[in-house]
Amino acid sequence: MVLLSAPRWLRSRLTDRFWRVQEVLKYARHFRGRKNRCYTLAIRSVRRAFVKSTKARREKKRFLRALWITRIEAASLEHGLKYPAFISNLLKSQVELNRKMIADLAIYEPKTFKSLAALAQRRRQEGFLAALGDGKEPEGIFSRIVHHY
Amino acid sequence: VAKTSLTSPPWPEVKLPDPVEEAKYHAEVVQKVNKMIATGQYGRLFAVVHFASKQWKITSEDLIMMDNVLEAECGDRIRMEKVLLVGADDFTLIGRPLLGKDLVRVEATVIEKTESWPKINMRFWKRHNYQRTKIIMNPQTVLRINTIEIFPCLS
Repeated sequence: MVLLSAPRWLRSRLTDRFWRVQEVLKYARHFRGRKNRCYTLAIRSVRRAFVKSTKARREKKRFLRALWITRIEAASLEHGLKYPAFISNLLKSQVELNRKMIADLAIYEPKTFKSLAALAQRRRQEGFLAALGDGKEPEGIFSRIVHHY
Repeated sequence: VAKTSLTSPPWPEVKLPDPVEEAKYHAEVVQKVNKMIATGQYGRLFAVVHFASKQWKITSEDLIMMDNVLEAECGDRIRMEKVLLVGADDFTLIGRPLLGKDLVRVEATVIEKTESWPKINMRFWKRHNYQRTKIIMNPQTVLRINTIEIFPCLS
């Protein structure tokens, strides 16, 4: 006799509920309070933790760049240059170090950073001289002195 | 013409040193550095290398891990060509933007090619029954920097 469908007294019951619960709780073990022990509270916290970590991975890049910029600004102010002047003049002198590298050099290689600051300062002065041109003043229109005779 | 706020530029007046004297000074410095490199009077060298779309500050016996695949077997020696900066205690050579290949030589060996730890990417909207979980494992390569050498061919 072949039975085409299973009889009603045969049930499929969950046997590995423990391991399914442990899979979630293992990510919650270092949390504070009952959410490191109780499954219903833990699953909520673990979901929020995963979502926050996904979003934070994108924001970490922005945050680190801001940190590097702050450090470069502090180091260049020690050498008498402001950050926009420093970076723009370095780029104009074709030195393509990125901000992470310059921040690391400012921390661990102070002499190298001093030479980079001197390079930027010199390029800045050359830029000022180039902007002045001939050094002659243009003839003014409103500042022409009119003689009333 | 009368003096206004725009007659003189807002920056303080700058005087550059004499170009002839400057050229002499530069030649002297270059000769000195060349001699130092030729006699080998430098200690540990560090270099800034552009590799795998990132810049690294490396010295010899350094370990580097990058988040991608390198098409070289484990144990292969690699020469890194895009060197931006080389420095020792007394002098630095700054490239504009790169230093010449006949000036610096950076050698590295591939040590390990593994995958990263399983990172979990999750998107969840509350009250909408929307939950997607993805486990990402990036391939990683570990390199050991063997040597950084400089040659006295400055001009």
